[in-house]
Amino acid sequence: MAQITNIIRLSFRDYSHEWRMSGCFIMALASVLAPMMILFGLKFGIVSTMVNELVENPINREIRPIGSGRYNDAWIEAYRNREDVEFIIPKTRALAATIQLKSDSARRILSTELLATAAGDPLLAGLSSLPQDYYQVVLSHSAANKLKVKTGDQIDASLSRQFQGKRERVHLVLNVIDVADATVTTRNVAFVNLDLLIASELFKDGREVSDLGWEGNSDDSMERVYPSFRLYARSIHDVENLVAALEKEGGRIKANVSEITTVKSIDQNLSVIYWIIACVGALGFSFSLGASLWANVDRKRKELSILRLVGFKSGRIVLFPVLQSCYTALLGWLLAVLVYLAFEYLINFFLAPRLNLDRALCFLLTEHFLWALALTMVIAIFAAIVGGMRAARIEPSDGLRDV
Amino acid sequence: MTVIYSLKNVVKERLIDGVGFRLLVPEIQISAQENIALVGHSGCGKSTLLDMLALILRPDESEEFNLHPVNGDSHDVGRLWQRDKQGKLSQIRKQHIGYVLQSGGLLPYLTVRENIELPRKLLKLPDDDSINSISRVLGIDRQLDKLPGLLSAGERQRAAFARALSHRPSILIADEPTSALDPVTAQKIMAVVMEVIRGLKITMITASHDWAHVYRMELRTLKQEAEAVDDGKIYQSRFTD
Repeated sequence: MAQITNIIRLSFRDYSHEWRMSGCFIMALASVLAPMMILFGLKFGIVSTMVNELVENPINREIRPIGSGRYNDAWIEAYRNREDVEFIIPKTRALAATIQLKSDSARRILSTELLATAAGDPLLAGLSSLPQDYYQVVLSHSAANKLKVKTGDQIDASLSRQFQGKRERVHLVLNVIDVADATVTTRNVAFVNLDLLIASELFKDGREVSDLGWEGNSDDSMERVYPSFRLYARSIHDVENLVAALEKEGGRIKANVSEITTVKSIDQNLSVIYWIIACVGALGFSFSLGASLWANVDRKRKELSILRLVGFKSGRIVLFPVLQSCYTALLGWLLAVLVYLAFEYLINFFLAPRLNLDRALCFLLTEHFLWALALTMVIAIFAAIVGGMRAARIEPSDGLRDV
Repeated sequence: MTVIYSLKNVVKERLIDGVGFRLLVPEIQISAQENIALVGHSGCGKSTLLDMLALILRPDESEEFNLHPVNGDSHDVGRLWQRDKQGKLSQIRKQHIGYVLQSGGLLPYLTVRENIELPRKLLKLPDDDSINSISRVLGIDRQLDKLPGLLSAGERQRAAFARALSHRPSILIADEPTSALDPVTAQKIMAVVMEVIRGLKITMITASHDWAHVYRMELRTLKQEAEAVDDGKIYQSRFTD
């Protein structure tokens, strides 16, 4: 134990005494490791950003049928229960899903598209409340601007129809409970409860809506069938399967499959390119680090011989270069991390805005840093053990003659 | 007097393709408190023999190679080398032998005090006044907190002697310890060292190529003879009484 304590003390004293040489080893290590970390940070940052953009933007996960189909509540419910479906809600016929909106602050009457929404709608994910009844509405940014209204305002909604030879119009006062972000859609859209969307269609079809006091032919309570739906896959990786499932049922489906495939392909290609560079880099890094530490052990042969002369055992002597290699590995890694962080800041602060990215272009996770440290340590210790064992095998008298 | 080293037909060869150098020690016995000088020209094998006596060089052959330290057990060094018991050899060396190299061999990253303390620390000897007292005797007490690089050559050799003697070994081996110094300084240092080793009853074995120095110090000499053997392929050096 006394020998180990002494070896730790002596190895550190020698390392700090030769601070210029130690500094060179540290910088040599950092100069190989830091570019690899930057490269990996860029690869990880760029691809993660692109994938996140795709994943987080619900438009990219939206799957919609082309033309009209026949989808009943049971079908909608079955898809709602699928693991790969995040959200699904029916749509009515486009002509029946239009409403006229008017506010006190704007002169014009705005013809607006009605879209049903409900809890979990990814398009309105950031909003605190969603329409719960006939009288609540979330307006798209464009519609709210044109109507010059804000959250808490009331607007007049009206529907018209030709019924039994007469033109009829009904009115409804809607409370604007929120305004959607401009990125959700550029169209004039009123997000309403599904009941209001259905009521609108019933009214336009000349049927009565007793809840709202709208008269018409009685609803013969046939099974409700929707011509379309709004569906969002849980992730971009689920889109392809969902499209296949829907197409298998005979529907014609539209989704951003090509964009998703492009990003996946970019990810794969970048990964291949990165791993080729990383493998070549890691190989070079291993040889460079191993060679410099080996050379250092050889340089230390004389002093290691003196330590054996004064009574240190061979096994303990191996510890001397191993510990010094650990110091170099740890400090070199630390310097590489600092260099990496500086470049990460420069890239993300100066380059990312030029590319119109509001996310980090280059970043690494904590585990990536720890992996880099582990790799560096393993190489350093291996190289030092091989060199140290060689030094320990040499008879002390051979090293002493040069002292 | 107790015999501390007993060597018979000890051989060390440095041959390449059967050509080179052979050191042969037919028979040597060294008694406790004797002061021995190996005298001979450069390359005659003085350092090689010293290294074998210091247990840092493996003999190629040995009929007998025994070490009987004054205050320790007897050891069959030849057998320990044969069995590759390097840990045991290291233990014996650490406890009983002090070694002074031609150039001092101080560790450059430790102060003079730390260099001198090192053998004591390895033996877990108590921190007493022995470092200060031996440094005073050798005249380096004011250099203790300096690094070896800041000392003169003479001071470095004094510090090397202090390190070799700090743990009170029974044997001191010195390989031409004053060869790099001017004659006056060399004489001064050796006078002090001789006084110390006589006081501590230490056996000293040194190498030198300076006969005058050996006679002055009244050292027992081991003579070296050389001959060419194996059709002149091997330069054989023999050390005898």
